[in-house]
Amino acid sequence: MALAFDEYGRPFIILREQESKSRLRGLDAQKSNIAAGVAVSRILRTSLGPKGMDKMLQSPDGDITITNDGATILEQMDVDNQIGKLMVELSRSQDYEIGDGTTGVVVMAGALLEQAERLLERGIHPIRVAEGFEISSRIAVDHLEQISHKFDFSATNIEPLVQTCMTTLSSKIVNRCKRSLAEIAVKGVMAVADLERKDVNLDLIKVEGKVGGKLEDTELIYGIIVDKDMSHPQMPKQIEDAKIAILTCPFEPPKPKTKHKVDIDTVEKFQTLREQERKYFDDMVQRCKDVGATLVICQWGFDDEANHLLMHRNLPAVRWVGGVELELIAIATGGRIVPRFQELTPEKLGKAGLVREKAFGTTKDRMLYIEHCANSRAVTVFIRGGNKMMIEETKRSIHDALCVARNLIRNNSIVYGGGAAEISCSIAYAIRAFADALDSVPMALAENSGLQPIETLSAVKAQQIKEKNPCCGIDCNDAGTNDMREQNVFETLIGKQQQILLATQVVKMILKIDDVISPSEY
Amino acid sequence: MASMMQPQIILLKEGTDTSQGKPQLVSNINACMAVADVVRTTLGPRGMDKLIHDDKGNTTISNDGATIMKLLDIVHPASKILVDIAKSQDSEVGDGTTTVVLLAGEFLREAKPFVDDGVHPQNLIRSYRAASYLAIEKIKELAVSIEGKSLEEKKSLLANCAATTLSSKLIGGEKEFFATMVVDAVLAIESDDRLNMIGIKKVPGGTMRDSFLVNGVAFKKTFSYAGFEQQPKKFLNPKILLLNIELELKSEKENAEIRLSDPLQYQSIVDAEWNIIYDKLDKCVKSGAKIVLSRLAIGDLATQYFADCDIFCAGRVAEDDLHRVAAATGGTVQTSVNNVIDEVLGSCEVFEEKQVGNERFNIFNGCPSGQTATIVLRGGADQFIEEAERSLHDAIMIVRRAMKNSTVVAGGGAIDMEISRYLRQHARTIAGKSQLFINSFAKALEVIPRQLCDNAGFDATDVLNKLRQKHALADGEGALYGVDINTGGIADSFANFVWEPAVVKINAINAATEAACLILSVDETVKNPKSESAQGEAAAGMGRGRGGGRGRGMRRR
Repeated sequence: MALAFDEYGRPFIILREQESKSRLRGLDAQKSNIAAGVAVSRILRTSLGPKGMDKMLQSPDGDITITNDGATILEQMDVDNQIGKLMVELSRSQDYEIGDGTTGVVVMAGALLEQAERLLERGIHPIRVAEGFEISSRIAVDHLEQISHKFDFSATNIEPLVQTCMTTLSSKIVNRCKRSLAEIAVKGVMAVADLERKDVNLDLIKVEGKVGGKLEDTELIYGIIVDKDMSHPQMPKQIEDAKIAILTCPFEPPKPKTKHKVDIDTVEKFQTLREQERKYFDDMVQRCKDVGATLVICQWGFDDEANHLLMHRNLPAVRWVGGVELELIAIATGGRIVPRFQELTPEKLGKAGLVREKAFGTTKDRMLYIEHCANSRAVTVFIRGGNKMMIEETKRSIHDALCVARNLIRNNSIVYGGGAAEISCSIAYAIRAFADALDSVPMALAENSGLQPIETLSAVKAQQIKEKNPCCGIDCNDAGTNDMREQNVFETLIGKQQQILLATQVVKMILKIDDVISPSEY
Repeated sequence: MASMMQPQIILLKEGTDTSQGKPQLVSNINACMAVADVVRTTLGPRGMDKLIHDDKGNTTISNDGATIMKLLDIVHPASKILVDIAKSQDSEVGDGTTTVVLLAGEFLREAKPFVDDGVHPQNLIRSYRAASYLAIEKIKELAVSIEGKSLEEKKSLLANCAATTLSSKLIGGEKEFFATMVVDAVLAIESDDRLNMIGIKKVPGGTMRDSFLVNGVAFKKTFSYAGFEQQPKKFLNPKILLLNIELELKSEKENAEIRLSDPLQYQSIVDAEWNIIYDKLDKCVKSGAKIVLSRLAIGDLATQYFADCDIFCAGRVAEDDLHRVAAATGGTVQTSVNNVIDEVLGSCEVFEEKQVGNERFNIFNGCPSGQTATIVLRGGADQFIEEAERSLHDAIMIVRRAMKNSTVVAGGGAIDMEISRYLRQHARTIAGKSQLFINSFAKALEVIPRQLCDNAGFDATDVLNKLRQKHALADGEGALYGVDINTGGIADSFANFVWEPAVVKINAINAATEAACLILSVDETVKNPKSESAQGEAAAGMGRGRGGGRGRGMRRR
């Protein structure tokens, strides 16, 4: 802030620590903000599309993440600049709401900012620019609506869903198995979807990964996988038609919560206490047996004594199962969570067709599969892969695919991918800067695929105009055709609309700032 | 400043900063003008935002005058008055915070040449007061009442007021959308004075248009235990029990200790504890409630018990949310589960747990008393939503004000121009110096339309002259003309629905005049060096304290 002077020319201080604060005003502020935003989007630009590259990120603890998911990259980059942070939040919002297209939204925002800078240099008022973008974004969204296609799918015909998920997965490291992964994602979503309410609770889909095996071994399990094994090595490894008691109380004598002391002053009393403890164990196991349980899943641990007893009575048990998994098991098997032994009844038992313990390779790792459940509305995607990073990236990719499938169930409109939608929007109307910005997505796609960006883009544009076909996009895979319909490259309508709206919103916010006041250390 | 010839009489502690007289007054005015210059550019629909970091790394992007003034961290004593009037405008009417600072700054700017020329500040003050009185009378005269209109009509009128406020904010692009939302929310709580009955929840993600109004209460899913997912998530006409107790297996008394001599009695203690909690749960179920909310924790045991009984529960509900639920559903918060009668249970038409963005929300819709509303805001970035919330707050305040005082004036600088004209006219009838001062007051009022033009990049002089011409028309037909932000010309603000509640303007002129007069009446600042040296002393004291401690240890030897 400019110093103010009094009548004697002495400067006086109006703000606290005025000297140490830096301040940017007017066009300088806008330019520096734009530069920051564009810098962030440049980083992501190369990750766009099926031929996009991955980024390797190392956290302060030395953990390595390799990913091409925009939201993850930005999250881990730990951006310090304020405007950069806005871009991070932008991509996070897209992730929360849609789950896919997190790279595209940042690239688009960056392109809009670049365009805005040019306009500002010509002396156009920043809010005019922002308003223009806002109007264009609305036109673009309407236009998308027009060129979108609805397709029908049903529980049996999931092919269109799979195709769309494949488009998402094709840009990921896992694209060699995209077909099978897309199928897994769609089947998983269909299993938990409420088609009437058009609602999907993704919490019911558990994504579990284990190092080892190959990506092709990834499977969808209609049930739950728990990374636990039987509490005793000699318990049976496979139980058919299991009746499961789901317990949240430990296999040990109950303890009152109030502070207590038992006075033992004679040998007899000690004997009784021991006797009673033994009886507790005995009762507990007996109760489980009585109600007909053939498997006990417990949130807590048990005493060795109880473990031995369970083994002895031929009642397999699993211990230390986390609360979330316990809940999923309860939902899947239709059982009830039982907080104490007295309340065990046959109705509260969960039912599963098959419970088996499976060992992997030569390692000692075992996992418990609970399959063929009474209520199959909880599923697990079990990912295998060569290394941890691969599995983590696959998890993220599957998450994206699941989100895409969910969005399609909510709204079954699609637009064509490969930049086709953007090109079509850009042709459709005349707010030039916005249209140019839209072109940046297909440009980046072409660049990343090693094609001549300008040539390719103008060729596709010409084709779209000539054939009046809004399905032409960038042919990233050298498939020989530009028609995205033939290539089956789809994206969800709501995802695309969201991208445009969100990007415009944040750009408006950035453009509207004309004054940055910050402590000097920034 | 004392003469150096004679031995100096030291009256005040050394280091005390005293400045006095005319130079002091002028320097105060300069400081205030500098502050007003900071917020200047945020005025109006083409106003810009400020991005302010603080030392802790928090960032705020805002267009709200009061927020900016607060965050600027002003230490200059005279300029602090401007911060105060912005705050008071914010708490009194909620909007017009930039206007009030700008006006005060402008009044002072106009006063400065007079002060320089040796006019006694008290003369200025007297004239300013008189002018402000006249201006307010004129506003009251010009204000148009919206009383006595039908509800539908009133709604659209109120929405216009809200839209005018929102047009200068970041969410201006969707002002109609939000204006209706705000009006609905305010109408829902009716004349209730408790503003906290309108809840604003922020969920990142989605676009602004995905924001929605819940005619009732909505809050984020609370922390839940295993078993929660097995509870039903949708009810029609449920009864709602509101509690302020823990439903958990726990020791009943903190410091109690049980001594057992007979091990066989062990089980009975365990059972007793279980019975206490089961008794509580049973009473909840028996009350017939289908939804149980508690401000304190609802443990895993209770969660599962309720799941078995097809009851929905949520523990650790934030206090204001719980109060809103109580107000909305007509229930009363209970501190015991004994004697739960039907009257204390709330109810609503639909309860549902819904996915909003990445979060799940508990939504109570269609509440009987209807005195609450919740706005769920969506937006692309956290700061975006923060700013949207501030903007909505302003709009809500405006609508409430407009409902209470139900008179509006034309915005867009129209009312300011009209008062300015009126005062100039009036000034001619006054003999003496006062004529000049009132004229300068009138000139200062023109800062609003001028700034609107400047911010929008129009030629301010040009537009202002057009406005002056319109307002000078004899029959007053141009009285409603203000700046037209869209074309860069002038237009009838009233016809274009650029409306402000009269009370905002009245308060702004009042507060700005007060502040200006206050600053003008100060002719000496005595600034004690205390705060700084006190800090030094405190630090020194601590040092000494440590030293003393060591010393004591030595002595004890």
